[in-house]
Amino acid sequence: MRAVESSSDPVSRFASRLLETPALRLLPALQKEVQAMNVLRLNGPQLLPVFTSLGLNVARGWREPAALISRAIRAETDRMMAVEISGLLSSRLALSFFPGVAGGRQAPARAKEELRALIARAAAHPVARSALSGSLAAALSDIIEKYIPPAWERKKYMYVEITRVQRLSLSPADLSDLTRFIVLVRPAAYLYVTPGETLDKDVGYSPLQEQYLLKILPGIASQAPSFPAALLKMGLRSTLAFPGSESVEATSRIGAIMAMRGRALSPSAVVDRGADTPDKSWFNVQRRNARWHGLDDRMLDELYTIAAENGW
Amino acid sequence: MRKVAEFLETVVVVAIILVLVHTFLDDYSILAGWSVRARSWIIWIGLGFDIFFTIEFLTRFYLALSNGQGTRYFFRERGWIDFLASIPLLLLNSLPHALALLAGAGLVSGLGSFLNVLKVIKAVRIARILRLLRVVKLFRGIRYARSPMAQGHVSPITTIAVSILVLWTLGASVMEGVGIIPGIEGPFSEGQAARAAAIAQVGRTPSVLVQRAAAVAALDATILVVRPQGGAVVWSRYAPAYYTEYFLPGDFGYLLSGGVEVFYDQRPQSVSAAREGLVFFVAVVLTVLAFLFVYAPRFAMQISDPIHVMKRGMSESDYNLEVRIPAEHADDDVFELAALYNSVYLPLKDRLGNEGQGPAPALKINDLRDLADKT
Repeated sequence: MRAVESSSDPVSRFASRLLETPALRLLPALQKEVQAMNVLRLNGPQLLPVFTSLGLNVARGWREPAALISRAIRAETDRMMAVEISGLLSSRLALSFFPGVAGGRQAPARAKEELRALIARAAAHPVARSALSGSLAAALSDIIEKYIPPAWERKKYMYVEITRVQRLSLSPADLSDLTRFIVLVRPAAYLYVTPGETLDKDVGYSPLQEQYLLKILPGIASQAPSFPAALLKMGLRSTLAFPGSESVEATSRIGAIMAMRGRALSPSAVVDRGADTPDKSWFNVQRRNARWHGLDDRMLDELYTIAAENGW
Repeated sequence: MRKVAEFLETVVVVAIILVLVHTFLDDYSILAGWSVRARSWIIWIGLGFDIFFTIEFLTRFYLALSNGQGTRYFFRERGWIDFLASIPLLLLNSLPHALALLAGAGLVSGLGSFLNVLKVIKAVRIARILRLLRVVKLFRGIRYARSPMAQGHVSPITTIAVSILVLWTLGASVMEGVGIIPGIEGPFSEGQAARAAAIAQVGRTPSVLVQRAAAVAALDATILVVRPQGGAVVWSRYAPAYYTEYFLPGDFGYLLSGGVEVFYDQRPQSVSAAREGLVFFVAVVLTVLAFLFVYAPRFAMQISDPIHVMKRGMSESDYNLEVRIPAEHADDDVFELAALYNSVYLPLKDRLGNEGQGPAPALKINDLRDLADKT
């Protein structure tokens, strides 16, 4: 069998081209990886001619060459994801919320690098990597900016929860920035989860326990010392079930919803005639499954209304 | 092979659209008094279309028979429409017209040769109406790519509506022709017969006949030519060249009474028939357009679209869009089912499968094969 050594390797070239096919072009790197892995997993036996044409040894079946290609896909995904995260941290995450939640203090210069390292650690962990898929998709998209300002203007449940209950005085832009930060920190909560503990469908999205989060918080905080523990807690606590944990901050609840929404985003999806819009459909389904996924049903109601009013 | 078939289907659709234009112009040319030259062209083009559709029908029927699908093609796939809109039209309409055109180039010289043809043309003129059946053939060529169910539903309904319109009108015309129901031509023909008899009353002597013909023709502007049977013309309203320029074979009426032949101008009746034809043509086209652009979208919106969305949601793990339920139709059975789909099925699907949360499965196995070839 051949090893994946460089981009001149046919397997690496194949993986690279696979992730750049028009069908996947609009997806974030991690979602591309999920798609590519699914095709390999579901069609392995039929792909033997493909493996052969790549010069792979298929004498022992399809699993070994598929595993080799999977590794190449993952390596290529990591490379693409690093570019995405760099772009995200430099242009889409300003940490402008920092003074509002850290006693007026500006974000330290190394804060973004620490966040980058935290995300990189999550990407290297199987469960956290799965959680990162939805988080990155949400953070890279405009979904957060789309919903926070209208929710602010409505001055209803979400506004009241943030300004009066959580007592945060942030502008909609800062709140969007904070939400993006929360969804990016969220996968770190799964860093200490043993792979295989949850069902495949829940990997990276099953609610965690408060006691568990309290235990892992020091470890996470030590990796990102520039961030106040309260900020990191907002990200980690977005994995708590609501209303199971009544004290979950509103910002964490928004982060949980956005990360979940990011997981289902499909930029190239075409809305059939007779079908409702993607956001409206998704929020409506989640309103009914709010308790199942541990999401705030009143927030989902409000987001559903915003989606319906705007035709999203 | 498939591309060739698609190309031929496109050619047929284009031909149907063109033949509809031709059908309109056929009547309009009479109504507008177009020249003989232009109307001759319309007759030849009509013959071309009828030959084309006859070949199309025979080809389809032959292929269907070769595959043991003859009955299915003729009855279930509306081969009978193809048949009615081709062979009878060719044999009863365009071919006789074309033959008459060839035979009756000059009135005086050609009188004897096309008299019988004239009668045939008059008898089968009503068959022209079958051409409107071709409108429903359009449904086979035009595909609602996004709603095959709507097409499958609207197409037979349109066929039924247009067929009833056309076949009833055809039947009524036949009944009129055989005298079961009174027609507009009856009194007119009776008047012509009476005047022909009045002319023939004086005998066949040319000198007497010409005076009598002139006297009667002064009272009836439709009388064109009078002559003893098989003899030379004794009276004519116009010079022979005028007939050549302004009259097609179908524009003449002919009566034989007491050994005297009388030709009369049938253009006023043709104009009246053309007017009726145009009204009927517009009625059929409007019926089809109404089904196509009013009923079909309604059917799609209320029936096939919600079913299509539910089908995708149930068969594709990554398709989770809800059915949009219009408030005014919320009580329809389909939308009540859609409400259950939205409120029960999709949430259950969301709980049960992680695939439902992921992006749509954009990547196909063939993408990998193509990539391997390039790598």
